[in-house]
Amino acid sequence: MSHHYVKFDHVSYTYPNGYRALDDVSLLITHGQKVAVIGANGAGKSTLMLHMNGLLTATEGQVVIGDIPVTPKTLPRIRQTVGLVFQNPDDQLFMPTVADDVAFGPINMRLPDSEVDRRVDMALKAVGAYDLKDRPGYQLSGGQKRSVAIATVLSMEPDILVMDEPSSNLDPRARRMLMRQIEAFDHTCIITTHDLDLALNLCPRTIVMSGGHIAADGPTPDLLADRSLLERASLL
Amino acid sequence: MTAIERALYELNEIDGYACGSSLMHRLDPRAKTIVTLLYIATVLSFRLDSLTGIMSLWIFPILLSALGGISYNRVFVKSLYVLPFIALIGIFNPIFDRRPALTAGHVVITVGWLQFISICLRGMLAVQASLILVMTTGFMKICHGLRRMGLPAVFTTQLLMVHRYLSVLLKEAASMDCARRSRGYGRRHYTPRLWGIFIGQLLVRTVARAGRIHMAMLSRGFDGNAAIRSTMRWSAADTIFLTACAAAFAIARLADLSRLFNILTLR
Ligand SMILES: Nc1ncnc2c1ncn2[C@@H]1O[C@H](COP(=O)(O)OP(=O)(O)OP(=O)(O)O)[C@@H](O)[C@H]1O
Ligand SMILES: [Mg+2]
Repeated sequence: MSHHYVKFDHVSYTYPNGYRALDDVSLLITHGQKVAVIGANGAGKSTLMLHMNGLLTATEGQVVIGDIPVTPKTLPRIRQTVGLVFQNPDDQLFMPTVADDVAFGPINMRLPDSEVDRRVDMALKAVGAYDLKDRPGYQLSGGQKRSVAIATVLSMEPDILVMDEPSSNLDPRARRMLMRQIEAFDHTCIITTHDLDLALNLCPRTIVMSGGHIAADGPTPDLLADRSLLERASLL
Repeated sequence: MTAIERALYELNEIDGYACGSSLMHRLDPRAKTIVTLLYIATVLSFRLDSLTGIMSLWIFPILLSALGGISYNRVFVKSLYVLPFIALIGIFNPIFDRRPALTAGHVVITVGWLQFISICLRGMLAVQASLILVMTTGFMKICHGLRRMGLPAVFTTQLLMVHRYLSVLLKEAASMDCARRSRGYGRRHYTPRLWGIFIGQLLVRTVARAGRIHMAMLSRGFDGNAAIRSTMRWSAADTIFLTACAAAFAIARLADLSRLFNILTLR
């Protein structure tokens, strides 16, 4: 399974309004690595994440996921490989009930009903939201929505898990469950976060973003100990 | 609750009811959709000035909501939201048709007014029937049923998106309204220019939001066909329900109870 790598090859992205949110980003994340992406507000973290499963297409350069370049034709395969949890759970939950929402991905994957049921239960239990199964998504609290949003992606059993600020809004217990979940996930995991403690605990490697480019990329303990780097990236 | 939050609440309540498990809920969405269409056709088939005939059809929404474990009161209140739009359709009848239809003491009611009331009533009944359909079935399943009955996916997916967009629009409006009030220091009157800005913002925000939701759907393998499990099975109960309703509508239409009432009330 060594082919589940993520590779950005001199990727730049300009939003339709002309704002250059990614500027010559190159990185390689190999199979099974857990990587934290940190950086100030507006540094381009979310933009980077949206490139990982082709929701945004690089204006320059190329993104390759496990030997498959991200192009319009490969999108269905890319999206089964890469599970993306959005920064705002309100954008991620759109079905009438929690169970419907968690089942949405597996049904699109054309899995048989029994397998869909199994995955829905598995994913909801993994985030500790099984009790919410039949509740409508819009009635949940911020943190509950967050947990369910993570479950909607876990149910697709992706090979690469990409999460945009997964720990925001979670209470300490839910945060601990999330951390255990990420720890147990033995595939590639890429997390953007402002929770430096979570990064230090879970991710051996960290990428620091600043103004759309990569300011540093290395072992988490080293980077978090570098005061001048963190200050330059407005993280201190 | 502000008016916007109220509307959002009413909308959410519809989806809430759809999670129920009554007799009506368990029926096949297709059976319920056909019955609803038949009902609306029956309501519309009455002559424009036949008020009493339409009144006799009022019994069905009351009966069906009881069967579905929904309070008819809630259905009625929700249908009031569209009354202004329906009233617009019939608003000219009282002006143009001033022939007297019936007199009660000194008050003369013209044919035009009768037609106006009849139009409002028809509209309300049609809306109530549709509401009961949605509240006992859920929008997703109706769309899925329509799909199974051969409606192209383009239409059913569109329907779903419109439904989804409506709640996004209301949610954005509610949060903007909340932000406006919390920083408004009790200001109540805004210039047309400011209202223009609010409404423009609302549209831009909903479009952006809908775009992000669409992205979330795409990233979970959405390919233009709404994903719902096909646990749809037509049973004997569905056939019975469909025939019973169709027969009841036919009787209500043919027996034309209005005749009897007409003799009693109209001149
Ligand atoms: N739809 C858009 N159109 C134009 N510019 C955008 C759009 N979305 C984001 N940007 C801009 O791109 C830059 C990067 O945004 P991004 O959302 O990637 O930041 P981020 O690092 O995720 O920040 P945060 O920590 O606040 O989530 C920001 O300066 C932002 O203003
Ligand atoms: Mg972000």
